Amino acid sequence: MNLGSTQMSQSRVIAAYLGDIRFELVKMIRTPAFAIPTLLFPLMFYVLFGVFMGSARGNAQFALYALAGYGVFGTMAPGLFGFGVSLAFERELGTLTYRQALPMPAGSYLLARMATAMVFVGISTMILLVVAATAGHVPITFGQALHLLLVNILGVLPFCAIGLFIGALVSGQAAPAVVNLIYLPMAFLSGVWFPIEGMSKALHQLAPLWPAHHLVQLGLGVVGAPTVGSTANHVAALAGVTVLFYSLAMRRLSNRGFQLLGAAREGRIAMPLRRVFTVGLMSIAIGLIIAGVMGGNAPQARANTAATSKGATDGNSATAATDAAAPSGAPVGVAAPEVPLIADFDQGSERSRYGLGWQAGGDDMRGGSSKASQHLANGGAHQSRAALEVTGEVGTAIQYPFAGTSFLPNGTENADFGKQGYMDYSAKSTLSFQVRGDGQTYTVMLMGPRLDVIPSMYGFVATADWQEIRVPLKDLSGLDLQRVRLISIGTSTPGPFRFQIDDVRVD
Amino acid sequence: MSQPSLARLHEAHKHFGKIAALDGFSFEVNRGELVSLLGRNGAGKSTAISLLLGLQRPDRGAVSLFGEEPQSIDARRRIGVMMQETNLPAVMRPRELIAQVASYYPFPYDVSAVIERLSLQELADRPYGKLSGGQKRQVQFAMAIVGRPELLFLDEPTVGLDTHARGALWRVVRELLHEGCSIVLTTHYIEEAEALANRVSVISHGRLVAHGTVDEIRAHVSRKNILCRTSLGAGELKSWPEVLQLSVESGRQHIVTQDAEAVLRRLLAADAEVRDIEVQRAGLGEAFTEITSSNAASPDDAATGNSGRVQ
Repeated sequence: MNLGSTQMSQSRVIAAYLGDIRFELVKMIRTPAFAIPTLLFPLMFYVLFGVFMGSARGNAQFALYALAGYGVFGTMAPGLFGFGVSLAFERELGTLTYRQALPMPAGSYLLARMATAMVFVGISTMILLVVAATAGHVPITFGQALHLLLVNILGVLPFCAIGLFIGALVSGQAAPAVVNLIYLPMAFLSGVWFPIEGMSKALHQLAPLWPAHHLVQLGLGVVGAPTVGSTANHVAALAGVTVLFYSLAMRRLSNRGFQLLGAAREGRIAMPLRRVFTVGLMSIAIGLIIAGVMGGNAPQARANTAATSKGATDGNSATAATDAAAPSGAPVGVAAPEVPLIADFDQGSERSRYGLGWQAGGDDMRGGSSKASQHLANGGAHQSRAALEVTGEVGTAIQYPFAGTSFLPNGTENADFGKQGYMDYSAKSTLSFQVRGDGQTYTVMLMGPRLDVIPSMYGFVATADWQEIRVPLKDLSGLDLQRVRLISIGTSTPGPFRFQIDDVRVD
Repeated sequence: MSQPSLARLHEAHKHFGKIAALDGFSFEVNRGELVSLLGRNGAGKSTAISLLLGLQRPDRGAVSLFGEEPQSIDARRRIGVMMQETNLPAVMRPRELIAQVASYYPFPYDVSAVIERLSLQELADRPYGKLSGGQKRQVQFAMAIVGRPELLFLDEPTVGLDTHARGALWRVVRELLHEGCSIVLTTHYIEEAEALANRVSVISHGRLVAHGTVDEIRAHVSRKNILCRTSLGAGELKSWPEVLQLSVESGRQHIVTQDAEAVLRRLLAADAEVRDIEVQRAGLGEAFTEITSSNAASPDDAATGNSGRVQ
């Protein structure tokens, strides 16, 4: 016998923690009732609603929204089910009692389940990101993808805490039903599946009450979609929910004789002191939640993508730009995606990466006689596969004739021009593209909310060789960068014209 | 080690609501011995064990495991546990389950060696959920011993085992004892305690009502069995005040009595032809029955029935 052989080496303790994580992970992977819905449902929903229906509607903006939303959908399940259902069963069937009798390292039970939930979230978010970037044509940078991954992986914690609480409270038989009763309505009410702004004002106003809402908003911020509430609000609410439910769950479990953190040795901390500590912690948590919920729906002057990723200086310059451009009173546009590329026409389509475009057109709507048409032409700038060729003829029937091709950054198909949305390009400074043509003078035209003013314009000559045109957006007169409705490239010079564009970007 | 007892309960009280599951119960285990804790359902056995395992705390009284609080992880690294109702993840394999438990101990046995020792090779890599009840108990036994414990808690270890598997488990228990491991055994099978235990503690209504070696416990009971062939009628034998019970087994009279000597004297005097006389001391089972029933002061067993179980 090894008498007194209780000294356990550090490396064996660490190995025990890691072993528990691996054990839990293998267990969950081998449990199809957990693994399949957790990993496949968010993907299925995303492909169905985000990719197919999103692109069918010509609405790249929804594919972007859905990436954040279904990412949260895939984040809720591992936390809620992994803790809620399995804890309830293990508590009821005596497994938890047995585990407590073992010399398990302190907190390993919770840690292993938490790590498992995080791995599942990581996998489901990564799958979504790959599908979004490929099939969904969602403009997202590698940095944004990593950021979203991190947000979701940490974002599982409040759901773990809620799951823990459910698992501490209800029986194993009831747990799946209770979890579903929370999971599905919360997903719906938080706008996980689709934005709820349009549906009901009351539901919209209640959204900040649901933790998932805050995580969706954080995700939207990361991918560059419009958000409500500030990052601080959302983080506060989520942190508060985590601490509150975790404390409630631990209290409940401890009343039932379970110490998941291992031995809480009697007498080490005086009982009243411990109570004060718990009450204090819970008060802070409730405070955080209230703060988060109160501000959780506030309209954001700017989406917080750039603000969170680029820091304060960027925020300041954005404010300056707003002042200079004399805001029109209309709501600010959707934040421009972080990815600069609008279109490179190399995917075999004339479509832009987001928004509605490109579309050839003349001035017939204003009663003019100018016409334009467009098609993909082989051989783009920098030896790329293709460019967009626009041809037509400018007539002289009206005073300011114009024909060319247009792009609505936040446009919707079949909507009146006056109802098309805006995009907030205030974080960007340059519109650039490659162009070649017949040597005539052409114009870049940008329009904002008002239709009755002369658009902001920038002229250039399209030579026979490819050249890059760079439009300094911040120097254009009369342009409200926070509310860009339309970008057109074309000409007002009467007569036939022909030009090609490629690699349109906003940096 | 200087401490005399590995596990100790002293005057422990534990109430569940108004019901006293333990009412001043004392119990201890010394190095190298197998102590069997006997008691009827609801007597407080499981509560006593769960106090020793640190799963619950006593309302009053002292509990210690290797001289420390049972909640101490150091103390728990020296024990192995086989509980009565243990559900383990059905999708995991016995080898993985045993390895996980082994990882919690400083100097465990080799997992494969334990599997071989208990002849579990054939089921070690099958999902736990597919095993029979008896096979599951064997895996749980492997999990209890893999940590090379100094003190092993076995709660009804052989329920559901066939005679062969039970024999194999008994063999390993004896080997462990021989190697110096101490064991606390709670069991319904009196013959299991009789076969394995050095000492027996009997608990009834949350109190220690008897303790000692198996022989001492047997001696505790004054009843004896007298078997003989006699021509005396059953009516006459029954009329003797010393005879408590009378029955006939394969032509022999079976007399149960508190005072064997008096009955024998009368028997020899009354029937010169009496043959095949045999006097037996009460078995542990009878002793247990007598001890626990004479202690059944209040018949509210139903009430204590639930409270004695591990919650």
